[in-house]
Amino acid sequence: MTRFSNACGALAVFASMVCTGAHAATHDRLFAYGFDPAPDAPADANEASRFLTQATFGPTTADVARLTALGYDAWIEEQLARAPTLGAPAVEQVVNARTAAAQSVSQSQRIQRWYWQAAYAPDQLRQRMAWALSQIFVISDQSSAIGNYIVPMAGYYDMLAKDAFASYRTLLGDVTWHPMMGRYLSSFRNQKPSATTSPDENYAREVMQLFSIGLVLRDMDFSPILSNGVEIPTYDQTTITHTAKVFTGFTWSDAPLNPPNFYGGGLTFAAQYAPMECFGTEHFPASGSGSNNMRHDITGDDGTTATPKTVVGGVTIPPNQTCAQDVGDELDILAAHPNVPPFVSRQLIQRFVTSNPSPQYIERVAQVFDAPGANLGDVIKAILMDDEARHPPALASGDHYGKLREPILRLTAVWRAFNAQAQAPDAYGEVKMSAGNGQTSSFGQGPLESPTVFNFYEPDYQQPGPFADNDRYSPELQILSEASAYSTGNSYYNFSAKAYVGMSNPPTDRPLIDLSSLTANATSPAAMVATIDKSLLYGTMSANMKATLTGMLANLNGASASEKAWSAIYVTMLSPEFATQR
Amino acid sequence: MSHSRNSRRDFLRTLALAACSGGTAAMFPQLRMMGTALANTRSLPGYKALVCVYLAGGNDSWNLLVPFDTARHDVYADARGGVYNAQSNPDGLALGIPAGTDVALQKIVDGNDSSSATNQYFLHPELDDLAALYRANKLAFAVNVGTLVKPIVKADYSTPANRPPQLYSHSDQENLWHQGTSVTNRVVGWGGRCGDVVHASNPNQDLSTCISISGANRFEVGLSTVPYRMSSSGLSSLNGMCNPTPCSGVSATSVRDNALNTLLADTYANDFAGEYTKVFGRSRDLYNLLKTGLDGTTLVQPFPANNSLASQLQMVAKMIKLSKAQNYAARQIYYVRLGGFDLHSGLMSGNNDHGDLLKLVNDAISSFWLALAPGDVDAQNEVTLFTASEFARTLQSNGSGSDHAWGGVQFALGGAVNGGKLYTNGGGPISGFPDQHLDAPNNFSRGQMIPGIGVDQYAATLAQWLGVTSPTDLAAIFPNLANFATGNLGFV
Repeated sequence: MTRFSNACGALAVFASMVCTGAHAATHDRLFAYGFDPAPDAPADANEASRFLTQATFGPTTADVARLTALGYDAWIEEQLARAPTLGAPAVEQVVNARTAAAQSVSQSQRIQRWYWQAAYAPDQLRQRMAWALSQIFVISDQSSAIGNYIVPMAGYYDMLAKDAFASYRTLLGDVTWHPMMGRYLSSFRNQKPSATTSPDENYAREVMQLFSIGLVLRDMDFSPILSNGVEIPTYDQTTITHTAKVFTGFTWSDAPLNPPNFYGGGLTFAAQYAPMECFGTEHFPASGSGSNNMRHDITGDDGTTATPKTVVGGVTIPPNQTCAQDVGDELDILAAHPNVPPFVSRQLIQRFVTSNPSPQYIERVAQVFDAPGANLGDVIKAILMDDEARHPPALASGDHYGKLREPILRLTAVWRAFNAQAQAPDAYGEVKMSAGNGQTSSFGQGPLESPTVFNFYEPDYQQPGPFADNDRYSPELQILSEASAYSTGNSYYNFSAKAYVGMSNPPTDRPLIDLSSLTANATSPAAMVATIDKSLLYGTMSANMKATLTGMLANLNGASASEKAWSAIYVTMLSPEFATQR
Repeated sequence: MSHSRNSRRDFLRTLALAACSGGTAAMFPQLRMMGTALANTRSLPGYKALVCVYLAGGNDSWNLLVPFDTARHDVYADARGGVYNAQSNPDGLALGIPAGTDVALQKIVDGNDSSSATNQYFLHPELDDLAALYRANKLAFAVNVGTLVKPIVKADYSTPANRPPQLYSHSDQENLWHQGTSVTNRVVGWGGRCGDVVHASNPNQDLSTCISISGANRFEVGLSTVPYRMSSSGLSSLNGMCNPTPCSGVSATSVRDNALNTLLADTYANDFAGEYTKVFGRSRDLYNLLKTGLDGTTLVQPFPANNSLASQLQMVAKMIKLSKAQNYAARQIYYVRLGGFDLHSGLMSGNNDHGDLLKLVNDAISSFWLALAPGDVDAQNEVTLFTASEFARTLQSNGSGSDHAWGGVQFALGGAVNGGKLYTNGGGPISGFPDQHLDAPNNFSRGQMIPGIGVDQYAATLAQWLGVTSPTDLAAIFPNLANFATGNLGFV
């Protein structure tokens, strides 16, 4: 408790701890090593591919070469410096073109673009980080509050990509002020207390439980701090009720101010993804436009006495501040809370490297997170360059290192390994990446499509059996079921057996993988298997699996070279070894 | 009330995403599997199934069952900011007392209370079919049920040990409902542990006692029971492979299929790969077992379209029909789920408001009941359906919705249910239909109800009906049950 008390001593402390700005000096060093192999280059192509499996949507031949030439540090720095590839402008163009032609529009437009970015965007590390952040700072088109906001949801994802390497405080602020988050967790048009109502507690609760500090006090290594053997909650219901007053008064960025209309605005796509406006009494004194527009809790109920708010850690946010001051104070307090570095670091490690990081690994990353001036670029670098990420333990019975690969990441890895050729844009400028939304329902996951704010799977999910018995975590196993094993497999079939360059009547709604690296050796099963091993498993394929695939290819003696090739890919996509990232 | 049914909201769930688990685990590994192995009961007669309908997000169940008498309705309406009216009272969350022909559709009388001053209630206007089932004595309500360690009163609340951890948190409270206890870090649920007990009675030992049509869930996980997770659309074949597997001959399909089975049959040192093979292997085995029979199983009763809960319950009805016809099982436990109940905003109006969701519930469950009738599945007396939800919501409005709270209303339906009654008494200090004055002795300032009945009591009542009757088994599954005056509420 000591550390916590110190950190929460006074509001002034937090103001000075807020991280600002990027970190220019360390992130612009490119090509430092010329054309000589970098001193910290991966030992071989397999080691490079393993790193790129963690850091990107899948290794490509070009990225393996680039990483080998630059070394880890310079490759990461190059990626940190890359500008974000954005989705909203492209989605908006397609939506407008389709609308103009009286064609229906749906979240499919956003999702097609998302898959295109995953497969082809050059800022791969940033895109992977945005994908990881989208599984922590969750919004979802499954909610009717935002399900029809196609372009603005793409804008939310772009915000995550832009902030992927910014300070956590910057990200938390942009998430909080984004109208899609506002609508999803109902801070949008949340109202200050009245005689018969209290503010909506939704955002106040989830911003603490899921986006920042979690439920119980934790040390830097994520272990819970105990008091007489019992976990210590980070907040209670009274804290929630008070914090809810902070998150009031938000509305569309273009809601009219003169005369004010809290329920107006949202007239353009841009206005629907620009940061929300916050209506407070400072804009509308009681003598002015009427109490109906005083939506933020600054003056308490109906112009009576001001209401201070006692928020997490027992800190008081003073009365009579502007809305922006209230929200800024609250987010400063959350961002400076000692739980944030381990809580966020652990989830990021789970998304990139392993479901069960050691406490020491979490602490090393959390220390980087917590350093003055640090940003999320430093954090992801620390995650990827940690010894525990770079050097897996020797494989032995009961091994629980690594993670189940996400179904989406298995697909993108195959696209990128086999040089998937994108379709030409259609009449509306859209590049089709799938047959509609089909693969999302097949996989049990999709971009900004979680069933709830708790993501597709939870960081603490423990599969019954060895994971639960040994108190270990296995988030991605939560969406693997007897049903999804087959539906995911059938999706992979459609992206391999039914989508390759040179097939007769190829589909026009998804990329076509290039089988030539396999068909070139169609008469040599061993050579084909070696290519699969290198391209998809970074050289880790077991002797049993090699023998099985080699035997399969030998027995496919009546099949075409293409069928041998896609069969090898398809069976590998379904294999336990490819399903696992170590 | 708008009845637009947005099926897209649930499209992920046709495959069944789960949610829920997690929360605060990790702390006391020695408690996690707390597992005395339970006595297998090998001779349970006949057929029985429990069907858990989980209403995810926290159902605002104080608008499901409402006092009809003016005196108590006034209190209720006052707590909820008045009767909702889109023009004159958009902040209000209360339902108006039904009038005219709606009275006959909505009104019910508590068969456990002979006083006409206090025994009259009405159901939400979208629940007319459920009201009719109640009046036919097939449906009973359990009132003010919630997670408890032991019976408490308001003064006990401030001592953390007296109450469950992490009240008001979706994930944690859902876990407690699934587990039937207040130990948050257990991996097993009460359905799965009941499965451990009854599984030996099932003639087919390959098919799990516990079947989910809605993905992973803690409720159905036992010490030895692993739930079988199906899709509401049934069993699909695996493209490019043999269906069923294996198939004879030397076709390319057979060759691929053989390779896949070889890989799935291997042993893997890494536990992620190992679990993957187990799940995928069960997919293949159960496809072989069930596919032909399930495709040949049809229901006379139609189910509504664009209703994910209805699709799930339709699959449950088919599986029950098939299981009985093939004599697969003497006891089964099913899990279905409908999300969207976390209505912090738009409770009373808008797409997918509370009425829309309850309409889905009403239509899905009434169709399921009709499908269980003689001439179709023929199991109305052998199936008990019950609801669960992590918490009810604040009586007080937040302007357009309600926030997380605690005790709420659940119901059970079936031929074995002692229906037409409200079960409001768990033997503790808080009982009866709760006082709905805000900040009354039984609730907090926003109308968060302190439960009078523990989840353990509600669940144990259902477990006993299924056949888990040994005191040793009940004490192992529901470790807090001994803290309560009764372990059987008598509604089934």
